[in-house]
Amino acid sequence: MATKQHSPDSPVKHRHRPEGPQRHIVVFVFSIVLTLIAFAAVAAGGVNPTFAVILLLVMAVLQVILQMGFWMHLKDKGHMMPIIFMLGGFFIAGTCIIMSLYWVWWD
Amino acid sequence: MTTAHAEAANGTLPHEPEKATLEGRNKVLAFWLFLGGEAVLFGTLFATFLALRNQTNEGPSANELFHLPLVAAATFLLLVSSLTSVFAIQAMHRGRVTMLRNWLLVTVLLGLCFLVLEIYEFSVYIRHEEFGMTTSAFSSAFYTLVGFHGAHVAFGILWISVLIGQLMHKGLTVVTAPKIYVSAMYWHFIDVVWVFIFTVVYLLGKVG
Repeated sequence: MATKQHSPDSPVKHRHRPEGPQRHIVVFVFSIVLTLIAFAAVAAGGVNPTFAVILLLVMAVLQVILQMGFWMHLKDKGHMMPIIFMLGGFFIAGTCIIMSLYWVWWD
Repeated sequence: MTTAHAEAANGTLPHEPEKATLEGRNKVLAFWLFLGGEAVLFGTLFATFLALRNQTNEGPSANELFHLPLVAAATFLLLVSSLTSVFAIQAMHRGRVTMLRNWLLVTVLLGLCFLVLEIYEFSVYIRHEEFGMTTSAFSSAFYTLVGFHGAHVAFGILWISVLIGQLMHKGLTVVTAPKIYVSAMYWHFIDVVWVFIFTVVYLLGKVG
């Protein structure tokens, strides 16, 4: 059954042709690589903590952008409102996180 | 798989059945608003966790507690299940009901494996590490954040299982398709939250 998924797409672009699995597999491979970099940096040890924090957060944000863009189709046309909803959510979430860190660190 | 072909030949269903009706489009749009709200919910839990992560009250610290291989296995399970739910939606767009059902079953199964792993992890912490809900502010924040995510996984498993039953009972229609599409969005979002959890809770916990 899985082999059926790998049928090659014809080079002719058709408007209503269902998209193939190829680029989703590419996103999957990228996600695995980003995850591996993050785990390896921590498992190896001896990495400068400040650098490690920045590296880990960048890897996480990249992976989230990839997955939300391709797997949740946010990069597709007609997704303006969903992007506004999600950015609004992330904005409030980020404000909460920054505020609570501010309370703890600069008490 | 001969049945899958017969179902594909049933060409009455539009190309993207989840967006064929106004109700379907509204469901998808409203679900994005819900996911924005979920982002706020998890944001507050992350904020609490980040504020309290070093308040160990002489209990175990993050560095002593966490084992990366277990976390890596859980991460891999959830990432693969997110990919299989992409395949499920692609099968739906091709009108292949049997293939759609099979990918949904694989997704549910991987979600179950993740949940079992998490329950095992928590039980080890509670029984062998003396790290319970009330041990420290760190432990309370940890169980609330990671447990809330686990509860979302559990709900997703129930939800998608019910949808599989409905799919078998009623078939793939413009009514059932938006439900399946929205459940796949939910499942991706669960994986996105886990990316932040394994980064902020486990990996940053190991860094210190």
